[in-house]
Amino acid sequence: MGIGGTGCVNIAPWERGNLAKPQMELDPHPLQSELQSHNYSSREAAPSHKSSSGGGGCGCY
Amino acid sequence: MPPCQGGNHQLGALEAPPVKSRNTLHALTSAALVLPGLLIIPGHATGKDRINFQYSRYQEGERNLYGAPSLKPISADVLHGSGIFSLTDRTKFSFGYTQDTWSGATPVTTTPLATDGGNRPYFNNGVVVGASPLLQSNVLLDRDLNPIGRDPITKQSLGVVDTRSVMVMSSASPETRRQATFGLSHEWNEAAINVAGGFSRERDYKSSFGSIGGRLDFNQKLTSVKFNGGYTHSEIGAILDHDSSPYITKTAYLPQIVSRGGSEILQGNRQDWVANVGVSQVLSKNALVDLNIGYTHTNGFQENPYKTMSIIFIDPAELNNGQSDLITGKVRALIEQRPDIRNQVALNTKYIHYISPFNAALHLGYRLSVDDWGVNTHTFDANWVQPLGSGWTLTPRIRYYSQDAASFYRSYLFSQQVFQKQAVDNLGREIFFNPKNPNEQYFREGFFNYVDQNGNLIDDALSRELQAKFISFDAGKLPENFSSDHRLAGFGALSGGVVLSKMLAKGVALETGFEYYTRASSMQIGSGNNSFADFDYYVANAAIKFDIEPTTSLPMGGSSGSSQSHLHSSSHHHHKIPPAGIMFGHMLDKPGDFMMGYRFMYNWTGGNMMQGAHNVADQTIVDQGCSDASPCRFTPTFMNMRMHMLDIMYAPTKWMNVMLMPTFMDMDMNLRRLSGAPPPVPGVHEHTGAAGHETGAVGDTYFSSLVKLINIPGHRVHMNLGLSAPTGKVDIELRRMAKIDGGLIHFGMQLGSGTWDFMPSLTYTGEKSRWSWGTQLSGVKRLEEKNKSGYRLGDMFQATTWGGYDLTHWLTASVRGAYTLQGAVHRDFDVFNARIGPMDFPANYGGQFWDIGLGLNAIIPGGRFAGNRFGFEWIQPVRNDFNGFQLDRKGSLAATWSYQF
Amino acid sequence: MIKKMKLLFFIIPVLSLFATALLAEHLEQVSPSCALTTLDGKPAHDLQELKGKVVYMDFWASWCPPCVQSFPFLNQLDHDLKDKGLHVIGINLDEKISDAEDFLAKNPVDFSIVADPSKQCAKGLEVMAMPTSYLIDRKGNVRHIHQGFRPGESEELRALITQLVMEP
Repeated sequence: MGIGGTGCVNIAPWERGNLAKPQMELDPHPLQSELQSHNYSSREAAPSHKSSSGGGGCGCY
Repeated sequence: MPPCQGGNHQLGALEAPPVKSRNTLHALTSAALVLPGLLIIPGHATGKDRINFQYSRYQEGERNLYGAPSLKPISADVLHGSGIFSLTDRTKFSFGYTQDTWSGATPVTTTPLATDGGNRPYFNNGVVVGASPLLQSNVLLDRDLNPIGRDPITKQSLGVVDTRSVMVMSSASPETRRQATFGLSHEWNEAAINVAGGFSRERDYKSSFGSIGGRLDFNQKLTSVKFNGGYTHSEIGAILDHDSSPYITKTAYLPQIVSRGGSEILQGNRQDWVANVGVSQVLSKNALVDLNIGYTHTNGFQENPYKTMSIIFIDPAELNNGQSDLITGKVRALIEQRPDIRNQVALNTKYIHYISPFNAALHLGYRLSVDDWGVNTHTFDANWVQPLGSGWTLTPRIRYYSQDAASFYRSYLFSQQVFQKQAVDNLGREIFFNPKNPNEQYFREGFFNYVDQNGNLIDDALSRELQAKFISFDAGKLPENFSSDHRLAGFGALSGGVVLSKMLAKGVALETGFEYYTRASSMQIGSGNNSFADFDYYVANAAIKFDIEPTTSLPMGGSSGSSQSHLHSSSHHHHKIPPAGIMFGHMLDKPGDFMMGYRFMYNWTGGNMMQGAHNVADQTIVDQGCSDASPCRFTPTFMNMRMHMLDIMYAPTKWMNVMLMPTFMDMDMNLRRLSGAPPPVPGVHEHTGAAGHETGAVGDTYFSSLVKLINIPGHRVHMNLGLSAPTGKVDIELRRMAKIDGGLIHFGMQLGSGTWDFMPSLTYTGEKSRWSWGTQLSGVKRLEEKNKSGYRLGDMFQATTWGGYDLTHWLTASVRGAYTLQGAVHRDFDVFNARIGPMDFPANYGGQFWDIGLGLNAIIPGGRFAGNRFGFEWIQPVRNDFNGFQLDRKGSLAATWSYQF
Repeated sequence: MIKKMKLLFFIIPVLSLFATALLAEHLEQVSPSCALTTLDGKPAHDLQELKGKVVYMDFWASWCPPCVQSFPFLNQLDHDLKDKGLHVIGINLDEKISDAEDFLAKNPVDFSIVADPSKQCAKGLEVMAMPTSYLIDRKGNVRHIHQGFRPGESEELRALITQLVMEP
């Protein structure tokens, strides 16, 4: 429970209005990010969503 | 009580941000995409149930072939549908389906530009019309092993050193991959758990995956800890390209190659384990940070079986003979080899800050990954999410990516050994063997004489049978792992894009995105040297999203203006809808009503070939099915078609509805040789191997207006005036094989009509207590003489009648009869088509068809999902009268879902 | 992990009893500093006036989706049990009052809406989640604190309130 220790901020529940806005979501456009990561991982070797074994399986083009 | 302590307060459903419950769908679909190295970035579940449909098009630019003509670059059409549904207050079920079809040219290998093979241009009447990939070639080298350049078109030696490399491109016919994912999640007040699984299928790759994860909240949800683990199992069955396989050295993979249906199949499997741990922390009223660390372990076959490494074999005797003339290197292609094990670690950080003067949010991200293949990567990205008012949001984004090359990446390799040489015995005599009796060895003495093992001369007849025994190169002298796949090279990539979304009334939102991406070896941090592999692409997509807010189980009676939720029509009287196979069959009642639906149709043909109403023999097809100039040589064995349609209907007035129906089609088929067909002729297209053909992309788009003519209790008549816009491709080609063009694929596998078509229909429906019935007359009239490939499809007329009975108040069964008259194809391809079978000829299309349909329609009567309708219908052919020669019809299935807002 | 959770499941209900008991007096102590106003800023009735009635005090904000989801339920309660002595108060905690006003314009309700601009009421009652509702009986004791809102919880809440209303 000490994880919150680092940023031990005091933000009251009623002060979270801005944090609640849709633009503040961790992923505001999930359909887009899913598509992007599919494209990136079919062309790059980083471990994002698919490995670069390409040719098949990830529908890698 | 002091803050910042997970305390002894009552646990409640704190919905304040920043860390709302994970967006299950996102987590799932991320997990679904073959988990290796998955970094889950949980988004919000805004708590709303939703259904989404998205279409996207990916298009690459041409690769730099230094003057050789380019093949059509890769493009892909992606269709995606997904949904989240609350089963209870705290449990959600989600699913996703994605289908992508891609075609175009991919790089097979990299060679020096100076070879006499590579992308070898071919000519027609002295004009360059294309290029073929030649994987085996020769290259002239100076004594320092620098390649001596050639003209890329004529392949004449230019006499000067040219160290450039080039990618050798091979085109691919369309292929489709399908993927489905499912998930279940449960929320407690400050914790959540989710489980997901799915599978992905394409012709040469099958994958199944599962994952489990959870989240714990602390400090009144100011801090959230997330963790997740997943596993993927994949099976590869790569159908080696019949054309290029003889030129590829596969000795390292022989144990894994099986022969099936005339093709060689390289088999392998692999497993991936992923684990992720992360934490999200609110920093202030306006900022939060998200950190994740993930580890991926992959074990198994990780090569791309279609990619080869070009190895230039140099005879050491020639190299070391002390002379100064040019030497010839033999360029050969070996299937690439990658390590069996890969461990990757990725660290992902994200920072989000609210910019109050603009009411916008700035998202900044950095990701670092390292692995034991030497591929270290850095990613920087920034998004600015800007609401514009009236439900519009604009989000520009930019991303920079850099990766180091894998330790075993090379553009090509040299090996100082001979690729293959004739075996000699210890006396220096060349060794021969008799293929009929391979254990017997013979030796050459002098120029013309062969002796057996005992030194006896053999006769002429036997000496003509003998073949030389060759010794291949020593694979032990090559590196254990090698790959020239440009995705493992060092490079940088920059991309920028924008997303625009608009929230309409009733919880419907439209979203569209665009991105341009460019990959450049010079953009690598530390700079790269493989600019020959640079390329760019753009992606455009459009999506429609629906919020289906679950109805609250409140006592009825005057709930005041229920905030933003839409009025549910569960209290409306739903008139019955026709069976699932009927299109444009019903109308909305009240102005302002809005209906959304999805329709899926699967059509099977296969079995016997038919002429008219009877089975027909192969020989008849050969003689009569095609043309005098080119008799039929192949015939289809099956052809299946799947159609996905999105049904969007709106009632601007009481008596008129408008409807928009985008469609997506995919088809697959296979062929066999006709017995009695003439033998193969050089220069003429043949179909070879086990694989068939697939096509898939956007089909035609329908839009129409429906007009109520009669609307009295128990009886309704309406008319539909529809148009079909030719958004489906009619110029899909088969790839060039064995130096012969494939030409356009036959009429039946093109994705649309290519013409504007008029689609009128007249529908009558009636109902009385538990009975319902109806009849519909409909037609398709092509409005243009021909499409861009030179032909037009035939017109169509259909008459159908049905009757239905309510088995319960929510389930109706129906029986239907239909007669269809379909015209043959008019005119013909004016572009090359290989004409190998009856399906390539216009006269073999259309006919008269009598079908019976058996259907079930259901509506969810109450509860959370009230108002959702489902329909299924099996359409069974009863009698067919085909024009010309066609494959028998086996039936089709229609499935629909619709929901009225 | 599991053990800890089981312990929590045991501890929390026990502690909440104490918490309630503590808060029972809290209401008396909170009232002086808790100054409710109308949305416009004018002083509204203070809590002491509500003695003798069953009070359902709901702290909400326009940006909080479950708060929004609870409104039809609260409105229904107000209609049904107002005559029997239930008083529903929605105490708004938006930092910008204009947000609350815009919200109410699109989603009008019949129960009384007030604001707590200084946040003293919320702090005094130790509001820790959005929304939080307090069920106060006729004698001024806080009998139940409900954090968050999910549609499936409305049955249980309604039963609890009805029971309180029945009390003398």
